[in-house]
Order: sequence, then C-alpha cells, then structure tokens
Amino acid sequence: MAGRLRRVQWAALAAAGLVALAACGGGGGGGGGDATGGGAKDTLVVDTAFLLKSADPARSFETTGSIIDHVMYDTLLTFDGSDATNPKPLVAEKFEASADGKTFTFTLRDDVTFGDGTKLTSKDVVYSYNRVKNVKGNPSFLLEGVTTTAPDAKTVVLTSEKPNPGLPYIIPNPALGIVNSAKVAAAGGNDQPGADQADKAEAALNKESMGTGPYKLESYDVQSEVVLAANPTYWGPNKPTYQRIVIRNTDASVQKVNVQKGDAQLVLDLSADQSQGLASDSVKVDATASKTLFYLAVNANPEVSATTSNKDFLEAVRYGIDYDGLVQLGGTGSQQSAGVVPDGFLGALAKDKAVKRDVARAKAALARSGVANPSIKISYASDLPVAGIAIGDLATRVQENLKEVGITVELAPSPAATSLDAFRSGKEQGALWFWYPDYPDPSDYLVYLPGGNLGKRAGWNEGADAGLTELGAQAASEMDKDKRAALYQQLQQQLNERGPFLPLFNPSQVFAYSSSVSGVAYHSAWTIDLADLR
Amino acid sequence: MSTPAEPTADPTVDTATDARAIGVLTRSPWRQPLAVIGIVVIVGWLLVAVLAPMIAPADPLAQTFGKLSPPSAEHPFGTDNLNRDVLSRVLHGARISIPLAMLLVVLSAVVGAIMGGIAGYFGGWVDAAIMRVTDLVFAFPAIILAMAVSAALGPGLSNAVLALTIVLWPGYARVIRGLVLSAGQQEYVQASRLLGSSALRTLTVELGPSVAGPVLVLVALDVGNAILLLSGLSFLGLGAQPPAAEWGAMVSAGTAVFDSWWVGLFPGLAILTVVLGFNFLGDTIRDALDPRTARAIRS
Repeated sequence: MAGRLRRVQWAALAAAGLVALAACGGGGGGGGGDATGGGAKDTLVVDTAFLLKSADPARSFETTGSIIDHVMYDTLLTFDGSDATNPKPLVAEKFEASADGKTFTFTLRDDVTFGDGTKLTSKDVVYSYNRVKNVKGNPSFLLEGVTTTAPDAKTVVLTSEKPNPGLPYIIPNPALGIVNSAKVAAAGGNDQPGADQADKAEAALNKESMGTGPYKLESYDVQSEVVLAANPTYWGPNKPTYQRIVIRNTDASVQKVNVQKGDAQLVLDLSADQSQGLASDSVKVDATASKTLFYLAVNANPEVSATTSNKDFLEAVRYGIDYDGLVQLGGTGSQQSAGVVPDGFLGALAKDKAVKRDVARAKAALARSGVANPSIKISYASDLPVAGIAIGDLATRVQENLKEVGITVELAPSPAATSLDAFRSGKEQGALWFWYPDYPDPSDYLVYLPGGNLGKRAGWNEGADAGLTELGAQAASEMDKDKRAALYQQLQQQLNERGPFLPLFNPSQVFAYSSSVSGVAYHSAWTIDLADLR
Repeated sequence: MSTPAEPTADPTVDTATDARAIGVLTRSPWRQPLAVIGIVVIVGWLLVAVLAPMIAPADPLAQTFGKLSPPSAEHPFGTDNLNRDVLSRVLHGARISIPLAMLLVVLSAVVGAIMGGIAGYFGGWVDAAIMRVTDLVFAFPAIILAMAVSAALGPGLSNAVLALTIVLWPGYARVIRGLVLSAGQQEYVQASRLLGSSALRTLTVELGPSVAGPVLVLVALDVGNAILLLSGLSFLGLGAQPPAAEWGAMVSAGTAVFDSWWVGLFPGLAILTVVLGFNFLGDTIRDALDPRTARAIRS
C-alpha cells in the first residue's frame, strides 16, 4: 500500500551498492554450493534487498519479513502456488462462513505440532490473533473489527463487526501465522489490550521461531542475513527440500552478478531491464506481472483545480495515455491493469475491458471541455524506484503522451516522504503513485471509492458519486463468490468511466534462479514460498 | 613588448598580475600542449552548447525511437529506456551543465568577494564572524553539505545551484580576504584612504584589480569542479529532474540498465572531457601566474 513506504533509497543505497560490489569482487565463489543429491538438498542462497523490520509475525508486514514468516509460521488457510482466488485449508481442516458474512468457524487439524513437540490448539490461534491486534504493529489492521474466540480446543470462531467476505483471503497473510502461545508468553509475550507496551517477545522471536512451519529460524541479522533451517519434525505433507536457506541482504545491482556466478541460487529484485539476456543454460528467468499497481490520480475536487475536475479533461487524459508504451517501458512481464484490481485476484476485470489509447477521442474530449491552455501538474516520488522502475520515467512518458493530445504536463518530483504527505492532503492536481495489495482480495480496493482512503487523496470526497458508493457497499457485504466477482467487475468498469484513478500497469516481478532450482512461483502475499522450492 | 610584465616603476601587484594573465591567454598557452587541449575542448563544448538544436539529430525529449537500442548508424550513441536518442541528449546536456556551472562559480565568486572583502577590510569582529561561518562550511565535505542543503530545499536544478553556492563561496571568501589583507598594506591603498576614499571605493577601485587575477584562476579551476558537483547532485536525484537532458541524471539512468552501457557511458564521457578541459586551462593559468613557474612558461 502506498502508505507504507519502502525504504527511501538514494545516496546511501548507491554507496552501499558500490561497497557491496567491491566486497563481492573479493569473495567470489564463496556462496553456498548446492549438493545435488537424492531428495534433500543442502543449502539454498537467496539474495534480496532487505525490507525487514522484524521476524515477529505480529510486527512484520514488510516484503522480506513476509517471506520468512510464511515458512516459519503456518496459518489457518493458505494459497497454492500463485493462486489467489481459492483459500485452501492448512492448519484449519475446514471452515464455514455464516450467510451474513460476520461469523467464520474454523475446525483445526489435530496433528499440527510446534517445534518443541506441543500440539497446536485453538488457544494458540486466539493468542496469536489477539496479539496481532493488540501489539498494534503494521499488520494489526488485518483483523480490524474481528474478534477471535475458541469454543473448544479444535474450534476457532472469528466474529466480524461488519460483513467481511474478504476474511478468508486475509487469513493466509504471514502476519497471521500461529505462534506457540505458552512459549511466546514465557518469552514476555502479551495478547491483551495494552500489548503494544506490555509485549516484550519480539527479541525472543528474532532469535528463535515459535511456529509450526516447515522452516525454523537459525540466525537473524536485520542488516545482513537471515538463515532458516529445515524443521525436522514438520507435521505437513510437503517436507522441505533444502536443509538450510540463507537469505542475504544484497543490492539489486549485485544480484545479477551473484546469480550468474552461482553465488546465489535465487535472486528476487532484478528489474525487467536488468534481467535482459540473463537467461542461459545455468540461469532461468521468470518474469510475471506483479500485483503492484501504478496509477495516475487526477484530482476530482473543483476547489483544487477547475481543470482536472472537469469530466471531459479527465476523459482526455484517460484516452491520451499510451498504456502499451508504458507496459513496454515496464519491460518483459509487465502488463496493463484493466482495472485497479490486478489480474489474478477475484473480481479482476478481463483484459479486453482495459482502456485503450484513442488520441482522436482524447482530443475531442479536450475540445469539449472548454479548458483554455489545458495543463496538469503531476507530482511523484523522485527517489523511490518500484520494481526497478523510476517513477520519474513513467511521469516523463505520460508527459510526452499528453503533449500529443495538447495537454501540458508539469512534472513535480519530490522525495517520497514529502510527496506522500502532499498526496495525502488531497490537494495535488495529479499524482503518479503505486499500490501494493495488503491481501489478495478486491475488498482491499474499496479505498479507491469516493470518501475512501485513496479516493480522498484524489479529491474524491464522500458523496461525490452516490451510485459508486452504493455499489461499493453492496460489493463489500456480498458473500456469494461469483456475485462478488461480478460486482467488483461492475465497480471497476464504472471507475474506468468516471473515477479519477487511471490504472496504468502492473510492473513485472522477476525471479532469476539457478537451473537446479524448481518450484519458483510468485504470490503477492509472500512474494515466494521458499518451502515449495525443490 | 619585449619585457611585457616587469613591474619596475609602479610597484603594484595588479598590473603585474593582469599582464601575466593577458600574456597567458594570448601567447604562452600555445607552447603548452595541455592548455591547447583544454582550450580546444572547451571551445568545442561551448560551440556544441550554442549549436545543439542545430546539430543534434533529434529532439532530446522525443520518445519515438526503439527502447535501449545499441549504437548504430542511425543512433550513434544508442537510445535510452525511454526510447530517446542518447546523442541528442548528450549534446543538449551541454546547454545545461556548462552555463549552470559557470553561473554557479561566478555566483560563488561574487558572494565570496563581498564577504571576503568585508572581512579583510574591516577586520575585527566582522572578520571573526565571517571567518567562523566559513570554518563551519569547511567542516563538512562539499558534496555532503550540498546534498543536505539541496535535500532540504527540494530537488531541482536551481536549488542545486543555490546549495552549491552555499558550499563554494567560503573558498573564495578566504582567498579574497587574504589578498585584501596583504594588498591593503600597500602604500597606494593607504594613500587613497588618507585622501578620504570611502570603503566601497577603496575595495572596488583600489583593491579590486589586485584581487581579480588570483580569483580568475580559482574560477577557471572551479568550473570543472562545479560541473562535477552539479552532475553529482543530479546523479543522486537532487539536481536536474526529468525530462531534462542533464549529464549526471543520464549517468544515473544508465546505472539502472548496466548492460546497455551506452546509456551511461556517453554522458559520462561528456562530463570527463569538459571537466578535464577546464582543469587543463585552470592549471595553465595558475602556472603562468605563479612566479616560480611563470618564467619557464614565458621564456
């Protein structure tokens, strides 16, 4: 989500990159070799630029934290591979949702054990969920308005204040991993209100994992590397293949060399352009569209700008942008986003519903708008590349596109923190930003509606479009899966006609890995499932 | 002129310096290969800066070519990730870097001259105050302080120039203060003051010329440095902003696509040559003005 900034990286990062480059030149070939034997493999080295604050699931919502928590802590439900539309049982063997979407009843398996041999019971689930809520870390919003109770040792009931059809899609989030309640409590953990002060278990959870997952934490250094060791007593059917997984904090610029030399078997942060020509007999490259969305917000508030709030001007911008050109700029694997909900999520718009560039239509709309000297100031974060793409490049391309239509674009770059504050104020004429899904469910995109968190940033306040607000309310409480999907599609089509958000594209997520590795799949909730690697 | 610059009758510093400087600029450089190279390179780049719109094969902002295509007959320097012609951008880059670097150095020299002149002339607590401010600036590495200031002001070329001026003026102030202090002891200056000249007149008319020579050397030496600093800030994203064709920003864009070496190499070479050119020129002028090396050059 746009609000949770990734690391602001400029000079320091460039310097760090150089240092890392120098360091790596000296110690070539020292990485983990993979002893390719029958069945179990020795060590896997994964390079990624760390976005890591904590290994404690209740406090972790950053990319790298989600990767490691996902394999250390099992969740009630999960997803298979890259699928994001069918939550599957994991610790819960089945679940039922009430017709009103407010009560979810989970029945737990009875063969799930923690690393120390204790059995997982409903008490652990209640403790884990309450702790996430009460520690008030980044992921606590996932359980907003949700109360967890345990009628018996095998049953967990989640009660939501509002209809919450997206809850089964939220449950697989690694932040909702189940911890060993007795052990965490002994380490200073607290799940009661006030836990944000009282809970002292983070340090212990950064030393030792207390979950039921296929991997255990062997060592943890938030700056340099995290080492995971296979859990020998893992209860699940898929025993981990690699005995150890070393995740190293490596700048993207060095990752390419590392995977080429065999220093790392898997690297996660190459941009599409960087990965060009990397594929060979020994290195495989997968580039697929990520679920991150680049969008252009055009302010709908007449008090901010009479120009940008003009419906015809908005149409001119919408049809003036060359979406195919932006996808090309994004590189291999990028894809235009038909609506705000990315392809692969429930309720995503079909690709043929995407807006296509139509310069004649844009020019006609501009003429109809009656705006003299049409211009828009587009602000963006100048120091925050996303998927290796500088947002300034996108803004420059949009500027060039709109020039053809007759709209002058003034670019207003500023550092991410400043830029985000300005965008939040809802006073920017135009803003080019991005959105990471918090969980793979279209309900995460209701914030784009009038009066929503993001809607307000685009000057689209409560009551600006009663029809869409009504449709949003309907979609938010519909429990039937197919009807939900249809409602969200309808919603996005209307957004594409009238909304101040122009979904641009989903940049590619590139995985480059040694050809000895298989089972690599992208998932928006945890980037990659390390336990699935073979 | 057989003995062009021997200050025999009039023991003033200024005529000697002036004559030496003129001599350097008119005659002696041609005996110095480095100076010749420097001047040729600088004149070449200045011509490019003036003529860029005419000689560039394409609009530097036009995104109408292939993405990251390598150098070819059509695009001798290749194209960048936004499908723009790198050659045209490098040529147009001269129109940003060179004039701005000169402006920056002149600004710093002017501010430095005012502050240094006041400090040297009035002395006492004024001098102490100004010198402590310069100490403060000197306490930080130039680029780090410039980064901090331009980050505070917000990214942009004009803010980068302002930030660098803040960093560079103390160097001039120090030198000029020293010159004013020593030249101020000369009898003609004392005489002028006894005749009732105002401080402003003494500083500009009497002391100005004797300060001008050394400052000229500093300026010539500093232009290259200024281009580097400006490009450095742009490289870090604090200077030129898209879509401006600025060399430092272009090198920065090149680092993101390292395999497409042409994106970063050519603007990098542009920076290298123009900085070397200014340094060669500055070195020659300095050598010519230094009594120990000047004789060798002029004989």
